[in-house]
Amino acid sequence: MIELKNVHKKFGHLEVLKGIDLTVTKGEKLVIIGPSGSGKSTLIRCMNGLEEVTSGEVYIDGKKMTHKTRAALNRQYSSMVFQQFNLYPHLTVLENLTLAPIKLKKVKKEEADALAMENLQRVGLVQKAHVYPTTLSGGQQQRIAIARSLTMKNPVIYFDEPTSALDPEMVQEVLDIMIGLSHDDVTMVVVTHEMGFAREVADRVVFCDEGRILEEGTPEHFFVNPENERTRAFLSKILR
Amino acid sequence: METVWSAKAWATVWQYRATFLNGLLNTLQSAVVGLLIAMAIGFALGLMATGSVKGLRMFARAYVEFFQNTPLILQVCFLYYALAYSGVKITVVTVGFISLGLYHGAYVAEVVRAGIQSIPLGQFDAARAQGFEYTDTMRYIILPQTAKIILPPMINQVVALIKNTSCLYIIGGADLIATTYNFVTGESTGGAYGPAYLVGGVLFFCVCYPLSMIAGRWERRLKERDAVKPDKADAKEATA
Ligand SMILES: Nc1ncnc2c1ncn2[C@@H]1O[C@H](COP(=O)(O)OP(=O)(O)OP(=O)(O)O)[C@@H](O)[C@H]1O
Ligand SMILES: [Mg+2]
Repeated sequence: MIELKNVHKKFGHLEVLKGIDLTVTKGEKLVIIGPSGSGKSTLIRCMNGLEEVTSGEVYIDGKKMTHKTRAALNRQYSSMVFQQFNLYPHLTVLENLTLAPIKLKKVKKEEADALAMENLQRVGLVQKAHVYPTTLSGGQQQRIAIARSLTMKNPVIYFDEPTSALDPEMVQEVLDIMIGLSHDDVTMVVVTHEMGFAREVADRVVFCDEGRILEEGTPEHFFVNPENERTRAFLSKILR
Repeated sequence: METVWSAKAWATVWQYRATFLNGLLNTLQSAVVGLLIAMAIGFALGLMATGSVKGLRMFARAYVEFFQNTPLILQVCFLYYALAYSGVKITVVTVGFISLGLYHGAYVAEVVRAGIQSIPLGQFDAARAQGFEYTDTMRYIILPQTAKIILPPMINQVVALIKNTSCLYIIGGADLIATTYNFVTGESTGGAYGPAYLVGGVLFFCVCYPLSMIAGRWERRLKERDAVKPDKADAKEATA
């Protein structure tokens, strides 16, 4: 579904990704972990073209991601949930969900509304359909952002630390929804430090450090006997 | 020469009231057409200045610096004489429209640029991740959010533009200042300096002050709203 071939990414002189090879299969739930600044966000943002790779290639369903193809590929294949939610503040919750399907996928308004309400139901926020997102709590906003992703009906959803900006008491409500999603056949790529979530959902975990993938395996592998010294050091910090 | 309180002078002004109103009308006409040109130029340059094409960014910068750092009155003269000498048949009124449009276009550009740059980068990310192309991103997501930020300084620009029609007097325009000046120096009407200038001033004030008021009130409302927003959000969270 997603294939990265020897991906390098530089910001000026700073090389953030130093040759990433990674394949994500259809329906796979992949969790990416790693210390702050290791390039996890950059990696996931290269997958949907929010960052252009300096060298190497990214393919979605066999199609190459470039500056030119980005819009069309994202429209067709993927959605993204951000750490800071990034809901559109000038639109109501319902409009946030339906804007892209109506404008980009030419879905009829009634149809888009119905689908959006269905997804709001799923994240438990039907009653908020007509309010503006800034009036909602962080946890609620992130649930709306997930509903917005679902309303695109795309086969891949990227999550970049979806619970990191949330107050602790709101983390679980978001994770619960993501766990619910994992039973669908959607492909999920999730950057997170929530190892409980990884253990429950992930088919595979990859550990990034300094722009490289240092280790990958099942969640159990990471809990039981991580091989790399740095993986162990990192896990001992976050699993405390 | 008569004093401000001369009844005769006031009588002359009253007798020629249609002339003043006509001057005001010409001023407003120049202002409106000038504003339309300024808006078109300003939005185009504002988008260039925030876009990804370096050449266009530099062009926008150069344009803004050039027009903001030379006096309008000089630009008016230059345009008028340059065009006249190069044999282009162009009326004083048209020169007025164009020079006001070019000059204020630079200021509108800065307003638009600042408005766009005030939008968090996450909004651009969200739009791109959904598959919006540049034009649609601007149209549906970014520009609507800038509207309320842009509006107060935009109204201030309108006020400045109305006052700046006075520069057209130097090329013999028929705007309110030119009218007033011709009036006080005219053979049959000359001498009524005080009353004439007072009337001219009052007319300008009557148009500009309400606009400034609206801009000021708008700005205050925005500040208040931004100041109370977190509390409101908290209150809602607590009850949610
Ligand atoms: N647009 C950018 N311009 C310049 N440097 C950048 C940019 N984006 C990221 N970086 C740098 O790249 C490095 C990796 O950043 P990235 O955000 O990918 O890390 P991360 O693993 O997601 O970290 P975190 O856990 O803090 O989110 C950091 O040193 C960061 O400062
Ligand atoms: Mg990150």
